[in-house]
Amino acid sequence: MPDRVHIIGVGSPFGDDRLGWVAAESLQRSPVLNGLEPGRIVISILDRPGAMLLALWDEADHVIVMDAVRSGAAPGTRHRFTAGDVTASRLPATSHGFGVLAALELGHVLGDLPQRLLLCGIEIGVSCSSFSLSDAVAGVIPIFVSEIEKEALALANSAES
Amino acid sequence: MTEKRRIPIQLPVLARVEGEGTLELHVRDGAIEDLRLRIFEPPRMFEKLLEGRDYTEVPDMVARICGICPVAYQMSAVHAIENLFGVQPGPWVRDMRRVFYCGEWIQSHSLHIHMLAAPDFLGFASITEMARQHADEVRRGLRLQALGNEIIRLLGARSVHPVGARIGGFHHAPARAQVDALREKLQAALPEAEALVRWTAALNLPTEEQEFTVVSLRHPREYPMNEGRMVSNRGLDISADQFESRFVEHQEAHSTALHCLHDGKPYLVGPLARLNLNLDRLPAPVRDLADSLGVKFPSRNMYHSIVARALEIVVAIREAIRLLEAYAEPSETYISVTPRAGTGYGCTEAPRGLLWHRYDTDAAGVVIKARIVPPTSQNQARIEEDLRLSLHALGVRQGDAALRRRGEMVIRNYDPCISCATHFLDLRVRELTHA
Repeated sequence: MPDRVHIIGVGSPFGDDRLGWVAAESLQRSPVLNGLEPGRIVISILDRPGAMLLALWDEADHVIVMDAVRSGAAPGTRHRFTAGDVTASRLPATSHGFGVLAALELGHVLGDLPQRLLLCGIEIGVSCSSFSLSDAVAGVIPIFVSEIEKEALALANSAES
Repeated sequence: MTEKRRIPIQLPVLARVEGEGTLELHVRDGAIEDLRLRIFEPPRMFEKLLEGRDYTEVPDMVARICGICPVAYQMSAVHAIENLFGVQPGPWVRDMRRVFYCGEWIQSHSLHIHMLAAPDFLGFASITEMARQHADEVRRGLRLQALGNEIIRLLGARSVHPVGARIGGFHHAPARAQVDALREKLQAALPEAEALVRWTAALNLPTEEQEFTVVSLRHPREYPMNEGRMVSNRGLDISADQFESRFVEHQEAHSTALHCLHDGKPYLVGPLARLNLNLDRLPAPVRDLADSLGVKFPSRNMYHSIVARALEIVVAIREAIRLLEAYAEPSETYISVTPRAGTGYGCTEAPRGLLWHRYDTDAAGVVIKARIVPPTSQNQARIEEDLRLSLHALGVRQGDAALRRRGEMVIRNYDPCISCATHFLDLRVRELTHA
């Protein structure tokens, strides 16, 4: 059976925080991904799913989570982490603030991570007050999307190779 | 005379609550001098945003007040506006609204029990720490939460800020096959939910009892969700349109959430209040389950709220199964309404307690005035009262860490949804002087 890939764009409508949504919408229009048989690639657009990320990736072999990143790098810097690369945030765990990293750590503790989990992000600036991306982030969206498209395709075909 | 000493204890950010707030505690000579639950989320002014909007926009707008309990906001709004227009949408809509609400209770209660409250009672800082030793229980909680979300999606198209509800009914009716598949999942989850009840009742919960007034809806036959009169353990028995005569909100300088008092006093809304007042409305198997526990209801121990939440998950699963068993796709999913000028009231039971709405519209159905009283505003004075009693009982000479831990536990126990409660700002400047 071919592998199933779930691509999840996480974010909110505000400023650069919406980049996960913009990237997911772009991938939904991808002729390459749409050319695969139905169900091989699922694309979701979510607003802070918290611990429910675990339920979402339950049925997928591979998961790619796209989200905004703040690490101190220059805005527009692209990030790519595997599940093993990241350590959990030390922020207190409110259910509002229960973010992707906290969900990842919970999945790790429960042993409920997908076969392969990638976190792909773009460094964002400070302000998230508008409803559009900053130039620094918008400028790298095409290459970011293209990289994820290739990655997803490779993962979807990995069981057949 | 001993030297006077003031110890301010501040919890800069309350962890594991919905939204953001702080607790400020001033102790003088071994007694609590001042205690304030500060809410500093920006006021959201939803009531003002609703003014000038068409009545058809209200359900989708109020759903945005909260990502955890959007169904509650939609349900109080549709009932208030239908009350204003003088329509009743009929049995199919009534049943599906109850199913919709069951979904929200299941997801919200599961989230609170596992992510927010249980770590307190088991001595963990977070659900992740708890999962290291209670993996099966955490997985069960996540499954139940996901199941609640699935019910909301069935009728609302999505689980966060659902878009399926409208004045007069729903935009869409789910297919029978979808309903049957979900009903099977609910049936399979029922033993898990019952095990969850027994698990919460076996937790080592604090044993403090307090005197407090409880207020909830009460229906002639059902465990209350969408309908009923507002009752209390002190003899209150009123309809939603009489709310303003017995419940008054006021602004406290330290909070952007209004404090609501009942006849001038704090009171409790939410699962424990509902259960205490509606034990005889539990479905028989749930009543038997409740009676089999070491924890007895009605209860004056606020920490029994976690058991009440778990029992309400079982109620909601059973109710959803019962209503979906009789499901038939309707010819119409909503009734048409004709707007008229006037005032309408709606009150339903959000997961955290009573949620009261009032709308005034003109003849075209445009909102002239809206008023929303969420459960956290109603519980806020009770939370502060509980904090005074609990921290006094603990002993204020305890170290800061112990006071902080207990204070957080008390607040979290109410499942306060601070984002919902901060929707009003009275722009008055007050100077407070402390001796």
